[in-house]
Amino acid sequence: MRKSLYETDEAIMEGIRNDDDRALAHLYKLHFPMISHFIISNSGTDDEAKDIYQEGVIVFYEKIKGNSLELSCQIKTYLYSVCRRLWLKRLAEKGRYANRIEDSENYLSLEEDVPQHEENERQFSMMAEALEQLGEPCRTLLEDFYIRSQGMQDIVEKFGYTNTDTAKNQKYKCLQRLKKLFFTSYKPEA
Amino acid sequence: MFDYRIYEQIERYLAGTMPAEEKAAFEALLLSDLRLADQVQEHRQVLQAMQQYGQRQQLRHKLSTIHTDMEAAEQGITSELTAWKVFFKKHAQTMAVAASVSLLSVFGTLWSVQQIKEPVQQQTARYIELRREVEKIKKEQRAIINGIASADATTPAPRTARFSGTGFAISPDGYIVTSSHVIQGADSILIENKAGLKFKVTEVHRNTDYDLSILKVEDPAFAGFSKLPYTFKTASSDLGERVYTLGFPREDIVFGEGSLSSASGFEGDTTSYQISIPLNPGNSGGPLLDDKGNIIGVINGKQAGQEGAAFAVKSSYLLQMVNEMKEREAGLAVSLPQQNNLNGTSRTQQLKKLQDYIFVVKVYN
Repeated sequence: MRKSLYETDEAIMEGIRNDDDRALAHLYKLHFPMISHFIISNSGTDDEAKDIYQEGVIVFYEKIKGNSLELSCQIKTYLYSVCRRLWLKRLAEKGRYANRIEDSENYLSLEEDVPQHEENERQFSMMAEALEQLGEPCRTLLEDFYIRSQGMQDIVEKFGYTNTDTAKNQKYKCLQRLKKLFFTSYKPEA
Repeated sequence: MFDYRIYEQIERYLAGTMPAEEKAAFEALLLSDLRLADQVQEHRQVLQAMQQYGQRQQLRHKLSTIHTDMEAAEQGITSELTAWKVFFKKHAQTMAVAASVSLLSVFGTLWSVQQIKEPVQQQTARYIELRREVEKIKKEQRAIINGIASADATTPAPRTARFSGTGFAISPDGYIVTSSHVIQGADSILIENKAGLKFKVTEVHRNTDYDLSILKVEDPAFAGFSKLPYTFKTASSDLGERVYTLGFPREDIVFGEGSLSSASGFEGDTTSYQISIPLNPGNSGGPLLDDKGNIIGVINGKQAGQEGAAFAVKSSYLLQMVNEMKEREAGLAVSLPQQNNLNGTSRTQQLKKLQDYIFVVKVYN
């Protein structure tokens, strides 16, 4: 990987917008030590650092993808702010209140980004749970069709259905059940 | 069969792949059929959630891969270091605080101990014995320079005296008196007068109560001093009497003058006089004379932090000591001078006559 490609924040963001995995990898490696240091010096472990950092990168990534990011600072500061907030929340959940956070960087308060992310997370965990409860082969069927966008014909072959109509019927039943499971636990915020 | 067709329809509608006419019809149906509208809404949500969920899973997987790659790359290089580094990073601040606290307390303690000690030191050191610690380096340097100048490498440079004081002759037989503290701990003692006459001497009698020592010239070639020009006063001198001394606070002889300011010495010591002569280390053991040329005492110390308060042991105690010595060693010939040649002469004349009998006492150890 040629580092010079992603020397500036703009280059990295452009790379991510173009689905360049190397840009993402570069970004990831660039700022991990900072977050790792922050988490570890505030009573966290390596694994927690990894967790929080990935969350932070996801927030950033989705912001860029959704073109909803108005970055008024460096990526570094943004990531630090997001991870800081996420970590504080994690600490509070663990019942350990950090009476003093040791900051090594400036940070923003990010009133909106993190709550939005948390709402998404909630939705995803519901979805994961629903899919879990759905069981096989429904789960794989739906994932193949909707997530991996495989054609009906492939699915018919993979699952050994007699024709596409059977498959479509099966898919319909599965989706029906998934809807039920999903909406019993998930109520979108009014 | 009918239901999944509706679903397909909904999906086509949501994907926007419906032909315009069918779409218009479907939208009209949505307005009238609320249940269908709900269905569409729900369908949209589920699909969205599912797709986003899928993307998220992919992203997570990607990040995990990146992380694993990164760790694998780091592993080889820094596996040893990281544990220590993490520990250090975590505790660096604590360590810094601990270090500065300990530094602070060390220096604080040193400082405060000094503060406490200082007045004590002053109190205990109020009395200063006036023996001179010879500036060793200066002398050594001079010796080296002399050595170079004479260009004589075979003779070793003379050893320098560790301490020096003053002494004076009390009898032509070769007896000299000085302060005990001057020759304390001496290996060998040498005396030398202004004229450059040098003798090796040994201590023959000592009285630490009076801080006096009597020395005797050892030299077999020594033929005795000429007649001493002064006498010893047995009676007490009066307050206000003008007195003077000669001594060796430095290499050359130094004259000092003042008056007798008290009949008792340091802390009421009745064996001494207090005198107001400016004195320096090296003056110890010097004679204290009055106007008439009588020796009335032997200089031995001063009070620190007090101007013009020096002390001298009264001559009567010196005489008493000489008698003690005579008693102890019968047949010892100590003939104290009986005739005063200084009385009536001017001060400068007196000093000229005196000079030869005043010695610098050099102490080696």
